[in-house]
Amino acid sequence: MTGKQTTTSAAFLATLKRDLLIAFKKKNDIVNPFMFFIIVVSLFPIGISPESDRLTEIAAGVIWISVLLASMLSMDNLYRSDFEDGSLEQLLLSPHPLFFLVLAKNISHWLVSGLPVVLVSPLLAYMLALPEEAYGTLFLSLLLGTPIMSLVGSIAVALTVGLGSRGLILAVITLPMSVPVLIFGTLAVQSTLNSQSPLGYLSLMLVMLSVSVSLAPLASAAALRISVN
Amino acid sequence: MWVWFFKLGSPKWFYELSGKWLPWLVAAMVIFMTIGLVWGLLFLPPDYQQGFTSRILIVHVAVAGTSLAFFPLMFVAGTITLVWRMKLADMVAKNAAILGAWFSFITLATGSLWGSVMWGTWWEWTDSRLVSMLFQLFLLLGVISLRSALEDSDAAAKACALLSIVGCINVVIIKYSVEWWNTLHQVSSPVTTDTSSPNGPEFWIATLIMIVAVYLFLTVSLILSTRNEILERERKAQWVKDLVLKAK
Amino acid sequence: MSSAAPTASSNSDTDTIMLAARGLFCARDDRVLFKNLNFDLPEGQVLQVQGSNGSGKTTLMRILCGLNDGYEGSIKWYGQEIEDQAANFFSSLLYIGHRVGVAKVLTPVENLRWSCSLKQAVSDEEIMAALKEVGLRGFEESPCYTLSAGQQQRVSLARLIISPASLWVLDEPFTTLDRKGVERLEQILQRQAQAGGSVMVTTHHSLNIPELAMLSLG
Repeated sequence: MTGKQTTTSAAFLATLKRDLLIAFKKKNDIVNPFMFFIIVVSLFPIGISPESDRLTEIAAGVIWISVLLASMLSMDNLYRSDFEDGSLEQLLLSPHPLFFLVLAKNISHWLVSGLPVVLVSPLLAYMLALPEEAYGTLFLSLLLGTPIMSLVGSIAVALTVGLGSRGLILAVITLPMSVPVLIFGTLAVQSTLNSQSPLGYLSLMLVMLSVSVSLAPLASAAALRISVN
Repeated sequence: MWVWFFKLGSPKWFYELSGKWLPWLVAAMVIFMTIGLVWGLLFLPPDYQQGFTSRILIVHVAVAGTSLAFFPLMFVAGTITLVWRMKLADMVAKNAAILGAWFSFITLATGSLWGSVMWGTWWEWTDSRLVSMLFQLFLLLGVISLRSALEDSDAAAKACALLSIVGCINVVIIKYSVEWWNTLHQVSSPVTTDTSSPNGPEFWIATLIMIVAVYLFLTVSLILSTRNEILERERKAQWVKDLVLKAK
Repeated sequence: MSSAAPTASSNSDTDTIMLAARGLFCARDDRVLFKNLNFDLPEGQVLQVQGSNGSGKTTLMRILCGLNDGYEGSIKWYGQEIEDQAANFFSSLLYIGHRVGVAKVLTPVENLRWSCSLKQAVSDEEIMAALKEVGLRGFEESPCYTLSAGQQQRVSLARLIISPASLWVLDEPFTTLDRKGVERLEQILQRQAQAGGSVMVTTHHSLNIPELAMLSLG
């Protein structure tokens, strides 16, 4: 029916669906960061040591840092093609709160880039000789940590979307911000290895995630308005 | 109060007012700096435990304390830029980022100098203050590089304001998480990061004087660089032209 | 630099004023684009914005849409500042800029499904009918990167047919269109004006529309 304004949830779903569709059609943008992640992880044993004892020690850190780098690579395209073809302007001119539309884009990004990494993590943990009892913690910490990185990284991407040649500026801005996630993610795994409960760290990450969900899209929305100005 | 606030937003008003304050601030800075440096570095009795290296600590503590002021300062300036679109706030923020990076760098340099004597190592990951200062430096460099990458000065102002606000929140989170991270690794570390060995009151007075001196130095440098920025950005304004002609 | 205050010559002064701009001032990097710009846009009018390259036409359009806030002055939507009623204003606004808002990997239908649903609920039949009307029949399911620039422009113009928005802000919508496309767009604009809607359009074409008023910049 023409003329009937959509509800915010309909606009949210339409945006989510559209971004997933684009991701599905541009598989390279998704597959390449994922391959990058797996390749980087596989390089560590070659560069450091094939001994399983030493690998066990560094496994959690290696996986976490590789996730950080891969998520940064995949972030790059979060708003750029929308900016270039003008879709971003249409997004900003929607009568619905930009918060939810940005959130939809972030969720879609996480579903196609963060979630696959989380799902494949037990396999890589096995390759890096991480003891079995830590798989669950690693999995959970990544499950909580990767969306935080998508949400926070989105702010930096939104700020730099208008730059013609941005080179590594995204990395310079985003990577220092990921320190807390990295700390708690690896600490959780390590405490499991020391047969302590990782619940404290995981719940801290849950708190960080809920704060990010409620605040980061606001900052991303403001950043998009600045960049499109 | 609000009239005063918005008047301060006018670069011309700030330029004139800061011109009047500057001589006094510079004089105070020179006095405190001289007392602090001469007394602290030359005459202070050596610490019973740390020996003469405690004198480096006076500079380090003062600079480090001041470095912590930059992100809050940029947070406030950023909020003013975004909410009231005050150009002056952005000029201050721009120079605060650069000064802040230098201060953080000097903090790290003096810290590792002190560490090289005290701990026998230039860099110690178990000192959470050094580590979080390192990441503060990275975040400040991020703000600076964003500024230089954005050509449009209005967009750069707002983008850097937003990044400073996000960065400030982040610095706090990083600080606490690094501290936490450290306490857990501390057990295996032979190095003590405890700097509060029993010192005489002279030590703390000298440090206090030095802190005041460095804060004054920060204020003076910030005012000077902001005045430069004002002249550059307002170069087309009549009052700047008059000022330049008068100077000739 | 434009110092003379441009004014719109309106031929229907008595109508309800939809959009009113007063004392608009905009400067980009020390260059004044326009100052003290005043105009009214009544219901049922097509307002063509004219001016040489770099006179600030695009900036003006973006300011009116709320995409650019680097201006001084007041813009009122039915007598109320647009900043105070953004959501209300956005739901009555349709903007098509230089970048037409068509994602290249998606098909015309997928593009319209999303861009229309940001504002109002729309059915696939409506989208198909609109695409047919702008001459894109047979291209509904081709990815937009296989379409020419003019065809991509037509995809964005299909939104005009679907949209119930009362204000259209169109920045150079004619540039890539062929002669038939230009005629069709003129008809669409005219239809909007007759239905009581308004249009602001920048173009160097001389438009053949009876409800036309002019606004000159620079």
